[in-house]
Amino acid sequence: MAVTTKNLPQLYRFCFLMTGDAAKAQTAFQDTVRDAATRTDADEPPPDRLWFFRQARDRCIAVTEEGIQAEPGMLEEAEISPDAAAQIATLTPEQLAVWISAAPEPQRSALALFYLDEFTLPELLSLLDMKAGELSDLICSGRRQFQSWLDSTTAYYGGEAHHAG
Amino acid sequence: MPDKSELLLGCAPITERPGMERAMRVAINRVRHSKKATTFGHQQAFDKALAKLVRNIPVDEQLAEWFGKESLVPVVRRGWKKIVRNPVVIAIAIAALVIGVVTAYRVYEKLNDFPGADKARRLLSVAASNRSVLLDPLQTDAGALTDLFFMKHHLEHYDVPAEFAQFKTLGSRVFDDDEVRRVAQIWVKEKRMQFFLFPAEPDKQGKINDFSDWRFVEWEGWTGAVTQRNGVCFMAVIRGGEKDLRAYLEKKKA
Repeated sequence: MAVTTKNLPQLYRFCFLMTGDAAKAQTAFQDTVRDAATRTDADEPPPDRLWFFRQARDRCIAVTEEGIQAEPGMLEEAEISPDAAAQIATLTPEQLAVWISAAPEPQRSALALFYLDEFTLPELLSLLDMKAGELSDLICSGRRQFQSWLDSTTAYYGGEAHHAG
Repeated sequence: MPDKSELLLGCAPITERPGMERAMRVAINRVRHSKKATTFGHQQAFDKALAKLVRNIPVDEQLAEWFGKESLVPVVRRGWKKIVRNPVVIAIAIAALVIGVVTAYRVYEKLNDFPGADKARRLLSVAASNRSVLLDPLQTDAGALTDLFFMKHHLEHYDVPAEFAQFKTLGSRVFDDDEVRRVAQIWVKEKRMQFFLFPAEPDKQGKINDFSDWRFVEWEGWTGAVTQRNGVCFMAVIRGGEKDLRAYLEKKKA
């Protein structure tokens, strides 16, 4: 599948989830698109959709390498709550991006790509270069960790969600 | 340890689109009718809520302008060199070339065909499938069989041309063919050649036009040299190419 301008907002959202920072996301996004344009001008094979996301992933990892790196298995986990959707509805996209960007690699990439709701399972596995079992583990533990974080950040009372703080 | 379907459910798609992998489809259908349906429902609601949040990620106005710039997005521009190097294009070109050559050959063949060429080709297939035991043994000069055909089978003008009249025969026969009608067949010792004599075919106007030159027909490695005199075609058949027969025709001329 070729990349069109319709895919670019998704590419930017991916960069934003990966970095948790609009400026860094913008840099990674612009560099990726520029690189693709240069490749085409240089008469190289045209990049496909997955190429864009691979490149953007590498750039996002590079751009966030300087900061504090998360370590795997540091977060508490909780079973998914029946009220999770309502809890999530109280969040802002920025909060979600900050949480995902703080996850260790490759969980961060797995969560960012998965929640874009853009790719099929084989595409996800190809992008992340991992097996279905590994991806499933990362997503499942990510859900439980996020639920734990949700529980500590928000509280839900009788159909209304309130920030704990 | 979770089984494969549980692993798949862990990364079940948020939006179910057509073309989903069969294993995933089966796992989702199965869990929806099991005790874990509620848990899976919570997971799906969780995932959908997060995906909705992702879709709401704001895009900076300055960056939004990029999405409209088509020039930034690589467009597949394929030069003629790339198109020519494409294996599919190469395969199609080769196929078209082969079809073209075969068609041209067929057209050329038809243009040079004479009335009765189809009959001659049919007899080439007879020559290819025949064995000498089918013929009546007869050892004489091929030219001498003219009288035999006339006296015994009432076949007039079934003459062996001078080019081949001196060849020693192994056997001969006369048979009826559905398309070619009365055919006289002669086997000779020389290179196991076969001669066929058969009624000429009239042209589209219904006229029979004799020709004294030699015209060639080919069929699966067999070649026949045909000449037509007095409304009867004579064909010398050999297993091989046109040049093998031409040697005999040119020898006579010399």
